[in-house]
Amino acid sequence: MEHIVGIDLGTTNSLIAYVDDAGPQVVADSGTGQKTLPSIVSFLPNERVVVGREAGELARTQPLSTIRSVKRFMGLGMGHISPADRKRYRFVDDQEDSASLVRFAIHDRQVTPPEVSAVILRALRERATAALQAEVRKVVITVPAYFNDSQRQATKDAGKLAGLEVIRLLNEPTAAALAYGLHTKEEGLIAVYDFGGGTFDVSILRLHTGIFEVLSTNGNTRLGGDDIDQCIAERFLLAELTEALRNDPQVLNNALRAAEKAKQVLSEQEETVLNLTLPEKGIQISRSLSRQEMEAAVEEIVARTLEPCRQALKDAGLETHDIEEVVLVGGSTRMPLVRQRVGEFFGRTPLTDIDPDEVVALGAAVQADTLSGRRRDMLLLDVVPLSLGIETMGGVMSHLIERNTTIPASVKEMFTTAVDDQTAVAVHVLQGERELVQDCRSLARFSIPIEPKPAGVPRVEVTFMIDANGILNVSATDLRTGRERSLEVKPSYGLTDEEVERLLEESIDFAEEDIEQRLLIEARTEADTVLHATDKALSQNASFLQEGEEEQIAQVVQKVREACAGEDYDLIRDLTEELSQVTTPFAQRIMDSSIQAALGEKQLSDL
Amino acid sequence: MATPTVARCWRCQDEHRPQVFCPACEALQPLPPDIDYFTLFGLARHPRLDEQALAQTYYELSRQLHPDLHQTGTAQEREASLQNTALVNRAYRTLRDPVQRGRYWLALNGEPLGKENNKVPPALALFVFEVQEKLAAVREARPAETEGTQDALAGLRAEMTQVRDDLDDRMRDLQHRLAANFSKWGQADGSSALLSELKRVLSEMAYLRTLTRDVEKALSIL
Repeated sequence: MEHIVGIDLGTTNSLIAYVDDAGPQVVADSGTGQKTLPSIVSFLPNERVVVGREAGELARTQPLSTIRSVKRFMGLGMGHISPADRKRYRFVDDQEDSASLVRFAIHDRQVTPPEVSAVILRALRERATAALQAEVRKVVITVPAYFNDSQRQATKDAGKLAGLEVIRLLNEPTAAALAYGLHTKEEGLIAVYDFGGGTFDVSILRLHTGIFEVLSTNGNTRLGGDDIDQCIAERFLLAELTEALRNDPQVLNNALRAAEKAKQVLSEQEETVLNLTLPEKGIQISRSLSRQEMEAAVEEIVARTLEPCRQALKDAGLETHDIEEVVLVGGSTRMPLVRQRVGEFFGRTPLTDIDPDEVVALGAAVQADTLSGRRRDMLLLDVVPLSLGIETMGGVMSHLIERNTTIPASVKEMFTTAVDDQTAVAVHVLQGERELVQDCRSLARFSIPIEPKPAGVPRVEVTFMIDANGILNVSATDLRTGRERSLEVKPSYGLTDEEVERLLEESIDFAEEDIEQRLLIEARTEADTVLHATDKALSQNASFLQEGEEEQIAQVVQKVREACAGEDYDLIRDLTEELSQVTTPFAQRIMDSSIQAALGEKQLSDL
Repeated sequence: MATPTVARCWRCQDEHRPQVFCPACEALQPLPPDIDYFTLFGLARHPRLDEQALAQTYYELSRQLHPDLHQTGTAQEREASLQNTALVNRAYRTLRDPVQRGRYWLALNGEPLGKENNKVPPALALFVFEVQEKLAAVREARPAETEGTQDALAGLRAEMTQVRDDLDDRMRDLQHRLAANFSKWGQADGSSALLSELKRVLSEMAYLRTLTRDVEKALSIL
């Protein structure tokens, strides 16, 4: 059966997981054994791309061509970029259109956030391909529950660019609940507090005989551990530097990494040393930092997560004491201060049984299992996080679908003309809770084609459908003729279908490199398997070796190991084959003897 | 809003009463888009209903229809699953909330609550006037910009809290009246009196909801 895998495309780290007979599990990198892939992508001048820890190393020296936390930029327009981000990266600024999609300027190329994410997705896919020894094409990707339509669409585009079929976008807190539900089979009301590297979500769920019903969700897609790092770096490191150095991307990047490291250490210890050493810039800072000092500095950031919790409870019609279990998700919940504040807010000790870094990927794998048709005992009823509406007269937003409505959700709206012989009606789709259009996020615009008739005569019914991914689809029917009218929807902050196609074509070069990469991974995996079996046989069955055989095998083993360190997959394959051949007689003797032993036993038991 | 009585299976052409799965070939069927919500949930067409039974049926329908469980089906089945689930979700959202259910009931009886709903209901006129005056006082106090006038703000906050409690009391009272009205439908006594009482109660509730939102907004900045 075809595998559908689950992907946690995180701000800081990304993971890929699948379900087998042993349950959901995260795939580790076959080389390093690491389960998390840092969500860092570095673009080299020679058109090569590096992802993960290696890219993290490159960030120290090449901060402008190395993108971290790309998730923060998904589905945004240039107008949403913060001054702090402008210091760290170079963007393609379109003077004519400040509402245009974010594009990084890297070397002489333009790179959109979905393209950067696609690089991460491809790397994860390689991992899963190697682990499953099978092509991986269909995926479930998790997104913050509070992601709006543009951010979701951008994530879907990233999947497409990576050659994947995204069969579901799953909300991260819901994924976590799924992983916990499977784990403990709880029933009742739970709150999931998901504080990650760049985003914060809270969801309130009712668990009911295998149904996970989301009652409400809230959050902030621009609040996470990154902000804590920024705060520590600014307060304790950058404050001591000159204006020019503070704005230097390399200094900034190194200060942020130092802050991140100190934050992590202070989750375990009471005190640490904060270091920032860049001799070429004349910087040499080393100072002690206590947990108490850090907590006082970041207290305000943590406090900002509690208002969404209050709102989510209110929307669910619940009080804190109704919540029976609180689940913590996301790397930022490792901080003792976060655990303490969440515990105080809900009046109970939060659950942390599952590794907060892995729980979302595990939940995504569980959902992938359901979608593949292998499991029917669990069902998610999720909601749309933000109200959807259209612009009406006077720049006012008219709500069509309220936030926290269970998805899929659809609503029909009738449109007609205001003047005679009008040939089109323009529709502007918005998302948000505020009354005025200018305070809401613009999602898309489309125009309904209309046959020229006297004003008010044409009647076109438009269906707004938010699908199970939380993504909007619109369709129109002319009620007079009963005909479907096709609509061209132009996303406000997204790639058009044509752009996705073009980027896909451009990435064919990439794909060829990927095939090479995959062949290499497969060859190494195969070699590993044979090497492992040989080692085991040699240590357990040395008595079956014949004169000189051990030396002969050892020579080939050595050659295979050397080949695996290189990149020539043909050589690795050939040598692996050679190793199989030289060990065949030895393996045959072991097998013969065990068959004889088995037969012997059988004869004994037959007696 | 009439509910169609016969449906034809898209796969085997069997004709049957509208239902989720074809009784002949078990294929998932697109539900008639104009099916009334009570019928959809297998309930009597009556505004008073058993909320627990409603939730139970909702879970059962979701288990049968949800797109997650039809991902491996044909394009037609996936589309039917999507449309049906959207319909069931909308119906459940309407029926579980007494106010929305009441409005739906009015529409179902050919008496939709129209524009009159935007005017201040006469019974509330005096109360609304008082609350609006207090809200204006809060706006004039500009709490966001004022420092050092904590006493004045505390006074406003106390008044607003009192208003909110008043609103809550009135809302509870209206909820009782609504429930009482629901349970009288279908009995012998004049349905036109019931109809106008239902319209009155729902208009007042809609108005108080908007007012409550304004008062809470005021309280959050005080």
